[in-house]
Amino acid sequence: MKALSRLADPRRLFCLAGLLIVACLPLALPAKAFTLAVVLVKTTGAMSLNTLVGQAGQMSLGQGAFIGVGAFVAGNLAVRHVPLPLVVLAATAAGGVTAAITGLPSLRIRGLQVAVTTLAFGVMAEKFLFGQQWFSGGTAGLMIDRPVPFQSDRAVFYLALAALAASFWADVRVRGTKAGRAFAAVRDGEERAASFGVEPGSSKLLAYTISGMVAGLAGAMFAYVVGAATPSSFDIFLSLNLVVIVVVGGVGSRLGVLVSAALLLALPALMPKVIFGANIDPGRRAPLFAAVLLVIVVRFMPGGLGGLVRRVGDKLFGVQRGRKEEEGVPVSSAEQVAQRAHDAAFLRRVPRPLSLRMPTRCMLEGHGVSVRFGGVQALEGVNLEVRRGEIVGLIGANGAGKTTFFNAVGGFAPATGSVKFLGRELLTEPGSARPRYGLARTWQQMGLVRAETVRDNLLLAQHWIAGYSAGLGILGFDGAVRTEAELRRRSQAALAIFDLEGLEDHHVGDLPYGLMRRVEIAAAVAAGPELLMLDEASAGLAPEEARQLGDQFLALRSELDLTLIVIEHHVPLIARVTDYIYCLESGRLICEGHPSDVTSDPKVVESFMGRSHSARRPRAEAVKA
Amino acid sequence: MLGYILVGLASGAAYALMGVGIVLVYKGSKVLSLAQGEIGAFGVFVAWTIHDHGVAGPLAALLGVVVAGLLALVIERYAIRPLEGRPQLVGAVMTLGIALVLTYTEGELWGFNIKSFPSSVGTKTFSIAGGVLSANNIAALVLAGITAAGLYYFFARTRFGLAVKGATADPNVARLLGVPVARVYQFSWGLGGVLSGLAAVILVPQFGALVPFHQTLFLIRALAGAIIGGLTSVHGAIVGGLLVGVVESLARGYIGTGGVTDVVVFGLILATLIVRPRGLFGESA
Repeated sequence: MKALSRLADPRRLFCLAGLLIVACLPLALPAKAFTLAVVLVKTTGAMSLNTLVGQAGQMSLGQGAFIGVGAFVAGNLAVRHVPLPLVVLAATAAGGVTAAITGLPSLRIRGLQVAVTTLAFGVMAEKFLFGQQWFSGGTAGLMIDRPVPFQSDRAVFYLALAALAASFWADVRVRGTKAGRAFAAVRDGEERAASFGVEPGSSKLLAYTISGMVAGLAGAMFAYVVGAATPSSFDIFLSLNLVVIVVVGGVGSRLGVLVSAALLLALPALMPKVIFGANIDPGRRAPLFAAVLLVIVVRFMPGGLGGLVRRVGDKLFGVQRGRKEEEGVPVSSAEQVAQRAHDAAFLRRVPRPLSLRMPTRCMLEGHGVSVRFGGVQALEGVNLEVRRGEIVGLIGANGAGKTTFFNAVGGFAPATGSVKFLGRELLTEPGSARPRYGLARTWQQMGLVRAETVRDNLLLAQHWIAGYSAGLGILGFDGAVRTEAELRRRSQAALAIFDLEGLEDHHVGDLPYGLMRRVEIAAAVAAGPELLMLDEASAGLAPEEARQLGDQFLALRSELDLTLIVIEHHVPLIARVTDYIYCLESGRLICEGHPSDVTSDPKVVESFMGRSHSARRPRAEAVKA
Repeated sequence: MLGYILVGLASGAAYALMGVGIVLVYKGSKVLSLAQGEIGAFGVFVAWTIHDHGVAGPLAALLGVVVAGLLALVIERYAIRPLEGRPQLVGAVMTLGIALVLTYTEGELWGFNIKSFPSSVGTKTFSIAGGVLSANNIAALVLAGITAAGLYYFFARTRFGLAVKGATADPNVARLLGVPVARVYQFSWGLGGVLSGLAAVILVPQFGALVPFHQTLFLIRALAGAIIGGLTSVHGAIVGGLLVGVVESLARGYIGTGGVTDVVVFGLILATLIVRPRGLFGESA
């Protein structure tokens, strides 16, 4: 029944219809079957690049080289009469390995410089690797006989169509599993990704590997379709033209890439050379047309053709997108309270070793925590303790080092000293290890991926709970399907606790600010933490919202059994809900104690209000991390 | 050995010129331009046409350089400036698109047959320390030296140079202080275009071929030099470009051709970025 209703989704029907039309093309145009098969191969290559750029945000200007490696590996095996499935597997693997090696610099450097290394790799592969006699057969290349069931152009067309479908499916699967969520998080910000338990380095390498595998598959298809692999086929312009197809399609849009490939590759190939008596030769001029279109799309249509298709589709199928309006928080009935308690208990069931669940008294223990950024001492010898079940406040003027302390605990600041969580030293662990121990945090500037939906963000926050291997999960192995269903139930429960049901499919960036912050806390809670670190959760909230936030802190403790450490500027809020307060100034702890004592301490008042009288000392410039 | 180094320095000087253009554009508009190679090549194509109509080589070359500068200005105004505020990748993709448009337009206008463009300084050769340098090689070295000195003077001593420095360090603060930031962007693109044109005028006779598509090879070397130098440093781009030229020349001399030079370029970029991600003279972040 569910499968049937999913099939009835007009979008799916639309896609199926498109697939049918493409499948019928070689029957309608038998003479063009070969040309169209080549188009399908190139589209598969574009799809491989789309996964890398669109999902992981890594630009490859040498994608054609991965395709070439796949083609030559396939060619070398095919001339030795290795069966087709093995050839395809080997080419896929070779593409993946090549891309992973090319992606290694992304571990050290970020951004466009990585793109330049891929460009240099592409040029090197073209000029050197593909010129080696033993690998590519020299300039003449390798000639391959198509194996038995795929000897006709039509048969090979369907083979290429199957490969394109596989690349499409791979992109869909990446998007829907923990691999794709990790990619999106890393694309958005590596530190925040790590706070969700994502390891940025291995995520990027996985993205390169997957993309390279699909490119290798395209290479194998190229070898079989063309019946040859020649070095000149895989020059740098293949790589660059793939970039054109993906950008014109709208980076990250699968459908857009298909439309763009149809427009830029298939259409010119099908058009006659002479139109209305003029020798236009669209086949030869297609690259110029494509390049001009790229410039126009980048300048005027940031969403590319995919964005256009989506808008038209939304209109046709009556889908409403856009900003979600703010609603008041509904009053809880007794029934809802019971349901909440149930949800809360459900969320606490996470695969955490018993040693981390013991009822120890001291939860977080910072000892002599110091952080230095160049010449600035951002934190100096801070001692701090958070006991189980407490709500601890961390206050101080701007630049006092509050967020730096959070970053030190989170593993994103070069800290010395010791930070122990339930007796375990955290400073020697990478940032991505925190969620596993039971630490979750929110960020002053929002830790969520704005471009993704609420649901995807909640699933992302549970990255560490998703025990399946990111790579195998794409293929649906390793219990990925079951785990994903479980994670969705957990997301649902977390959303229910915070009265956010019905927002699952909204993009976080479209939500009003107050809701966004609530989603962020819900995501942190979905990760099943013991200690929640909230960085200025009240910032930007209206007074009434801030008051509700205070109630929420208390509820997080009483209903979810959480311990909290909160950075706050809102003094009434913090005085009302905290058990203990630490006050920082210029990186040093100047006061600690019970709320009423701290808020009336003259040093604290002075720090907050400024030095109106008494001796003025120049205040050290402190860095806001 | 010394001969190979000298020849390498000469082609490295041309890479350095284009690399300085890339750095200026990057500093000026925060766009990593992949179009610098084709902007220069376009200028040489125009120069070829002018030369073909009977104008003397050096004058034609000069006009070609001017055309490259003007072309860069047009690109800045209509393709780059409107992208302000969009992610860096968008700018780079735009320049990639422009590079492709220029490449295929050259193919349309001038065809894909190999043309040759004469050296503007004659074909005399000089034997120095066992290496043979052409007049063209020497001109490249001299031009790179003049450019380096000129830019040094410009940034250190002139008011506008200071404005460029300020605008690249922080456009918003510079704007508040009354620096004409848009003018600075324009200037960095224009000068970048002129430098690309100069580099192309030197490189094309040296490698003896004028074909669309060929510029990627120069571009990748200039990019390599700029990145090795740190992408934000003018003298870094010069040192980087010369280094690429020398290492490439040594590799060609001792190992041979057949793409080995491209392996070396790739290796140089990789080694620099892995050992020193900021490049030799790059600013942090």
